[in-house]
Amino acid sequence: MEHLNRRRFLRSTAIAAGLTASGTRLARLGAQSAKPYAGTRIKMSQVSHAYAAALLAKLPAFEQQTGIKVEIDQMSFPVLNQREDLELASGSGAYDVMQMIFIRSGRWIGAGWAEPLNAYIDDPKLTDKAALEVNDFVAGAMAPFKRGETIYALPWLSDSTVVGYRADLFYKAGYAKFPESFEALQEAAAKIHSRQVAGFVTEDNLHWIFPNWLLSYGGNFFANPPSDLTPSFDTPEAIKAAGIFTTMLSKYSPPGGIKLDPSIAQAIMQQGKAACFLDGMGNTQHIIDPRKTTLGDRMAFTNTPSGPKGHFPQLAVHGYFINKASKNKAAAWEFIKWAVSKETMLSAALEQGHLACTRASVLDHPEVRKKFTWRGSDLAALHLSVMKRAGAGYMVYRTVPQFPPIGDRVIIAMTAIASGQTNITDGMKSLQKDAEAILEKAGVKIRGKG
Amino acid sequence: MSSPRRAWAMLAVALLVLLVLSPAIFIVQMSFKSGLEAFQMPPTFTFQVTLQNYADVLQGKFLRALTNSTVTATVATVLSLALGVPAAYALSRARFRGAGLVSLWTLSTRMAPAIAFGIPFFLIYKELDLIDTRLGLVIIYLTFNLSLVIWMMRAFFDGLPRSLEEAAYIDGAGIVRAFSAIALPLSAPGLATTAIFTFLLSWNDFFYSLLLTRSEAVTAPVAIVNFMNYESWEWGKVTAAATMIMLPVVALSLVVRKYLVRGLTAGALKG
Repeated sequence: MEHLNRRRFLRSTAIAAGLTASGTRLARLGAQSAKPYAGTRIKMSQVSHAYAAALLAKLPAFEQQTGIKVEIDQMSFPVLNQREDLELASGSGAYDVMQMIFIRSGRWIGAGWAEPLNAYIDDPKLTDKAALEVNDFVAGAMAPFKRGETIYALPWLSDSTVVGYRADLFYKAGYAKFPESFEALQEAAAKIHSRQVAGFVTEDNLHWIFPNWLLSYGGNFFANPPSDLTPSFDTPEAIKAAGIFTTMLSKYSPPGGIKLDPSIAQAIMQQGKAACFLDGMGNTQHIIDPRKTTLGDRMAFTNTPSGPKGHFPQLAVHGYFINKASKNKAAAWEFIKWAVSKETMLSAALEQGHLACTRASVLDHPEVRKKFTWRGSDLAALHLSVMKRAGAGYMVYRTVPQFPPIGDRVIIAMTAIASGQTNITDGMKSLQKDAEAILEKAGVKIRGKG
Repeated sequence: MSSPRRAWAMLAVALLVLLVLSPAIFIVQMSFKSGLEAFQMPPTFTFQVTLQNYADVLQGKFLRALTNSTVTATVATVLSLALGVPAAYALSRARFRGAGLVSLWTLSTRMAPAIAFGIPFFLIYKELDLIDTRLGLVIIYLTFNLSLVIWMMRAFFDGLPRSLEEAAYIDGAGIVRAFSAIALPLSAPGLATTAIFTFLLSWNDFFYSLLLTRSEAVTAPVAIVNFMNYESWEWGKVTAAATMIMLPVVALSLVVRKYLVRGLTAGALKG
């Protein structure tokens, strides 16, 4: 056995220490290259939603993989609207990733508050384009977030208007299937409506519900958005649509039916107090929630009815974007890629019941189709068909920067007409004047003025 | 009052109390119901009691929001009283030109709706790095509460006979002693009433908490709104959280109710 003298011992110890140190250093370097964002903290604003629950469930894996620490600030939709608007307007970089609210996208993108994403998407160091597969997002969901070829947000939620209805009540009234036109729906509602069960129920966000009628009767908010924003609320088509729509509210809705928030309208349907519920898929899908109703086995889902000019279901889209004032844009992009990835969206659909997805591959997924088929109604296919239909471009009126205040005026006008405070023609003329005033104040050129 | 008349009067009072309390009762009973029973019409009064809604609320960030509310409302109330009560005493007793104007200008923060001050406050707070801090909320509540404290307490001090303090001055007391040993104890009912109103104003504030917080300093009234999910409101959590918000105020009101009644009726027979 070789004798271990002092010199040999010191030499061996020095070599061992050197190898250990360099090994540790190499390991650290390796970890750093795998986690280029290690130590970066980002903050995200997000509406309280099942999708947020899906993100939170998967977040530890993302954080582990990238080294990015993410704080998801969830808030209700009214709070989100106010907070995001204020944070963006004040140039605060408090939130790195934010939720692009459909009806505010025109203003936010126009004001330059959203970082264009093309540079991130096209950089192979930052993005595996095949994995991201931008074309997988249905065109109708992408449209509001694109200006030409520039992409400003990637969509995670697309709410399509559909109808949930009590098949038993309609069958009893002589309807083997749900009425296909708004006028036929009105007739059916008149037959079914009683003190116990209303013929129809919807939510009070009427600038979201009324366009289902308005566009189907040939009307629109503006003459030819976005090029000609002359309001068109006083046209014969708009007046006709308003008449039929407000009759549904005043005659065939439950008591207080003009002013029911989405959750109350949903609860009325769940409690068997209404025969049909027209709203976004995100709300409508829950009328069969077994924790809240025992009537699920009598419910079915279908398309919204059509009018003389066709079928115009509405689509509201929400996406994620990078705040221009963010100091962590690359990390924010890393997070957005993951948040709207096929895997994340699929898990949101299957594990959290998020049906209002934006990726065709997720909505076409066999497990998703199976999960969301209810008594013969394939909700995923229904939702996908509305998104594809909305891709035709008729939803562009909602991304006009001046839409939010005009939308508020639409709610006031519909409420005033339905409650009998004004007649249909006067109500729509008054709405027209208010919309003109809003647009003129914003410097928008209106035909026949100035 | 004869017995039958008394019985009818008691019944009327009971019905009135029930009517006034019905929204609170509705919220509390709903907080103990499952989702299936919550919206049954007509409402069911016998149901399977569940504590699940409370368990769900306590699992999230609501406790933190409740703590924020407690801290900001308490500190703002204490500071408002500490600054406002001596100011009210001074304005009640001092004789100087412009005393009325000073009183009037203390109301300036209440001369416009809160929303008018919202954006300026937000921008100032952004520069001072006070957004989403408890300190920021305390300062805001202080500015709004001070006028209430000064105006309410001034009315109480005005109702106290000056002769009591003058007697103290003759006995050698200074103004501070006269204030702390004579005026303050005599105005205890007013102090209790003012304290509870001040606390309630801060406790129930929604607007400034919405505007000036993000996630760290969010108070309970804003946190409760965040249970309103985009696709379906969580009514069980909303009502459980609302019940939890009501409890401290009910407890505080019970503790000071003796003073509260005296404070509210003080001066009712004056003049």
